[in-house]
Amino acid sequence: MRTPLIIVAFIVLLAMFGPMLLPWGHAQIDWDSVRAGLMSDGHILGTDDLGRDRLARLLVGTRITMSVALAAALVALVIGVIWGAVAGWVGGRTDEVMMRIVDGLYALPFMFIVILLMVVFGRSILLVFIGIGAVEWLTMARVVRGEVMALKSRPFVLAAEAAGTPGPRILLRHILPNIAPVAIAYLMLTVPQVVMVESFLSFLGLGVQEPLTSLGILVNEGAAEMDVNPAALILPGLVLVTVIICLTLAGERWRDRLTGTGRAARMAPDQ
Amino acid sequence: MSIFALSNYSVMIGDKRIVDNLSLDIDAGQIVALAGASGSGKSMTAMTPFGLSAGHGEGSAMLDGAQLTGLAEHRMARLRAAKTGFIFQQPLTAMTPHRTVRQHVEEAAMQAGGARPSKADLIAMLGRVGLTDPASKLRQFPHRLSGGERQRVLIACATAHQPKLLIADEPTSALDASLRRDIMDLLTGLCREDGMAMLLVSHDLASVERDADQLLLLQEGRVEEQGAAAAIAAAPASEYGRILMAATPRMSEPMPALETPGEPLLEARDLHVRFKKPGWRSGHIDAVRDASFTLARGETLAIVGGSGSGKSTLGRAVAGLGPVTGGEIFWKREPLPPRGKRTRAHRGLMQPVFQDPVASLNPRWQVADIIAEPALQLHGLRPDADQLTQLLDEVGLTADYAQRRAITLSGGQAQRVAIARALIAEPAMLLLDEATSSLDPLVAQGVSQLFSRLQKSRGLSMLLITHDLALARRCAHRIAVMQDGEIVECAPRDILFDAPQSQATKKLIAASV
Repeated sequence: MRTPLIIVAFIVLLAMFGPMLLPWGHAQIDWDSVRAGLMSDGHILGTDDLGRDRLARLLVGTRITMSVALAAALVALVIGVIWGAVAGWVGGRTDEVMMRIVDGLYALPFMFIVILLMVVFGRSILLVFIGIGAVEWLTMARVVRGEVMALKSRPFVLAAEAAGTPGPRILLRHILPNIAPVAIAYLMLTVPQVVMVESFLSFLGLGVQEPLTSLGILVNEGAAEMDVNPAALILPGLVLVTVIICLTLAGERWRDRLTGTGRAARMAPDQ
Repeated sequence: MSIFALSNYSVMIGDKRIVDNLSLDIDAGQIVALAGASGSGKSMTAMTPFGLSAGHGEGSAMLDGAQLTGLAEHRMARLRAAKTGFIFQQPLTAMTPHRTVRQHVEEAAMQAGGARPSKADLIAMLGRVGLTDPASKLRQFPHRLSGGERQRVLIACATAHQPKLLIADEPTSALDASLRRDIMDLLTGLCREDGMAMLLVSHDLASVERDADQLLLLQEGRVEEQGAAAAIAAAPASEYGRILMAATPRMSEPMPALETPGEPLLEARDLHVRFKKPGWRSGHIDAVRDASFTLARGETLAIVGGSGSGKSTLGRAVAGLGPVTGGEIFWKREPLPPRGKRTRAHRGLMQPVFQDPVASLNPRWQVADIIAEPALQLHGLRPDADQLTQLLDEVGLTADYAQRRAITLSGGQAQRVAIARALIAEPAMLLLDEATSSLDPLVAQGVSQLFSRLQKSRGLSMLLITHDLALARRCAHRIAVMQDGEIVECAPRDILFDAPQSQATKKLIAASV
């Protein structure tokens, strides 16, 4: 039942501590063995065409991809929860305007905009963040708004109002703690989406800059030499797919358990 | 002739005995009722013999000469389809939303292998269950029908194949008080006319004693009392029977004396609440129209009406928990500001107790924190352990409840915590919004006794919002009857019952037992 989470935890631990155990850094060039094969000269996965250790690069790439994803998902969580909670709590015209803004952002071809921004301002990891963050919070805001509206008319919230509790405090103490589980479930679903987007941007050469690397860059590099050295493509691809599938499975299971069956089908379509 | 008989019948779930050693016998045209508190096993007794519950039966269950216990599922299904009809509590969820009334009734009529009924037959069936304009109802979908109409359609479905036995599981408890009588009269009439036997499951004792021939009182799976319904109602032999009979307020009981109220506290003048219709539809709904009333210290004013009459909206408007679009509210002749502008001092004057006790407590909080919140907000003081214990004691709970989480409480316990939370604010008035109607009869009686005790000891005024006229008759000094957002009549209870003026009041009194 918990297998997906255990697999992800294993990959994360490996990406965090693995590089410390290796004699090679991810940007360090071994002049003696350029393009070494598997298990040769102390390089477990060999080296790339610049003589850099492939295993070190894979672990660091995983680490970068995962941290970008987690950070962007957290940003999405914060913006989404605040936006959704305010819209749902205040209601009325404010709610209308705020949610129409969300609808408008949904309609933008955001990948195209990120690429344009990069062309204009040059490549930077900050732009990747902004591009991803600007889109991923939308679903979160919708989910949170719905939950807040449902809780707002519950008797315990009315009782708190009757007890003289001020509005912001009701939101903070009574409503947000009760939507936290659902928000966290959607956080878990956002992470794999961001992994996907970040890898895609990096694959296009728009993401992280050398000598840093990410799973998307590794897949891109691997694709160039896949007929000579298929492992260079397969390994980062495998890590990417495993992380995305496992996190999605875990997130969906958690969401379904919290929100009951059938709700999942009615949620907004993902980007 | 016996249609359905259970003898020495027990219901087991796994190794656990849910219902123990029950015997009953229903003849054609006879009605037998199973009554008791929730969890007493009355629904299990009605459903298990037909393979429709999680439990399995032991002992003999005879339906029209066939033994049901141990019957293979496919034979059981055929027997069910041919000889029984079922009516459930929730009329909406018992219908398939995308199928029309005609499809429902046709399917029911053909379930025992009968021929497809003609349109004239279908119209006759719907006419028989008291639906007006049955021909146009045939084409309609369930969501277009009112709750009462849906239940009538379901009764038509349950009887369309002319079953020998009708099983009705709380057929009226999801319906409006004024509809209950009509539906029960329809059911009993059909039974008597067609010679159907009926097994009626109900917690509404007052209604059961009038409709049923035989009555079984169940407590935790045991039969406490069994016999002719009228005899049990008149003079219960068992202790449980006496408690249960006394718990349900009824119209025939003498009106208990009440304390004389003091000076006027609250006055509502021409209150108006208007909602915009949802979605893109234009127009408004006037939920409350020009409602005026007064409430004195130590007085209970009951606001009685059917569902959708605006009584809850009115209560919330007064307490500053819902919108107000017109009119004024005064407290000791001082005007009370609208919802958003009420200060803590205003909030402390009145406290609400709601219908659903479990939903009125924040599920993640401890009882101590829940009760402390109003004190903290209104008086800036956190109550100490002694105060908490004293308060819990006042509402009939022990001190160790302070550490419990809200989700671990039963309905009755949760309602007592909600009352303690209301009391700590030291209000002058309680808004009781159907505060006892989702509770079991016995628990409800305990809670309403608590209310009258508090009224005596603390001199509390109460705005009692309820659909139960008998409860209002028992507790309230004055009764206001609401219909379609208007207070159609407001009078002291003796006058209201002796000489009702409006049509709505007369109808409510006639429908109540």
